[in-house]
Amino acid sequence: MPRRHLLLRLQLLSNPQVLCGVRGAVSPLASVVGFGEEDCRAITLAVDEAIANIIRHAYAGETGKAIEVEFNQLEEANGGRPGLEIVLVDQGTEPKPGALEGLPPGELRSGGLGLHFMRQSMDTVVHKRVGSTNRLYMVKFVR
Amino acid sequence: MEISARHLENTTIFDVVGDIDLANSPAVRKALLTELREKKIPCVMMNLSSVKYIDSSGIASLVEGLKASRDLQARFVLYGLSKSAKEVLQLSRLIKLFEIYDNEEQALSVNGA
Repeated sequence: MPRRHLLLRLQLLSNPQVLCGVRGAVSPLASVVGFGEEDCRAITLAVDEAIANIIRHAYAGETGKAIEVEFNQLEEANGGRPGLEIVLVDQGTEPKPGALEGLPPGELRSGGLGLHFMRQSMDTVVHKRVGSTNRLYMVKFVR
Repeated sequence: MEISARHLENTTIFDVVGDIDLANSPAVRKALLTELREKKIPCVMMNLSSVKYIDSSGIASLVEGLKASRDLQARFVLYGLSKSAKEVLQLSRLIKLFEIYDNEEQALSVNGA
């Protein structure tokens, strides 16, 4: 079980305008943990897509709803690789069964890419419903 | 994000500056579809050389532009993609579906521009 310590906690309101601000924080934070440029971009994309999904789906586009984003630095046991765990919490509707499976990319359609980007960018993406909240855990370790 | 249009003979070039994300991808979508579907411009180009970030909603807007162009037998071109934008398009596995060039000169030099 990796050790975990909190780096940053953000309290946001569901509004697409905040995404650029969050992106500005994620990449430098990932760099501090030890990720290279490409992985920093990938992590930024994953966080952006996750928050966008909360806004669009969990909150059905409604603005002013609470989103919490927590960034935890991880360290594998025995001085192993450092990593980043990102936990996103919202009070929105639970995803419908199958909604988190995503759609295969590569087809010319305008939807379904966000989840694919998240899964491709991070090592693991796990959703949990805890009471009336959604909790999304995304983890990536430095290669 | 800012989007402005330049009109050449039979071609509209959209110069986009900033990030294309959930906040402003609707404006990109609207601009593209207006030019293609309403104005019936035969060639629409997106200058993305000043776009540092694009997410799935931005890609979705480009896909809608591409689909509209195919429906109308128009040409839809992207050029000046940053490393980040190329990575996202490659991740979507849609990069090969788009007509992409490094710069405006190359995009305009192809027959039909």
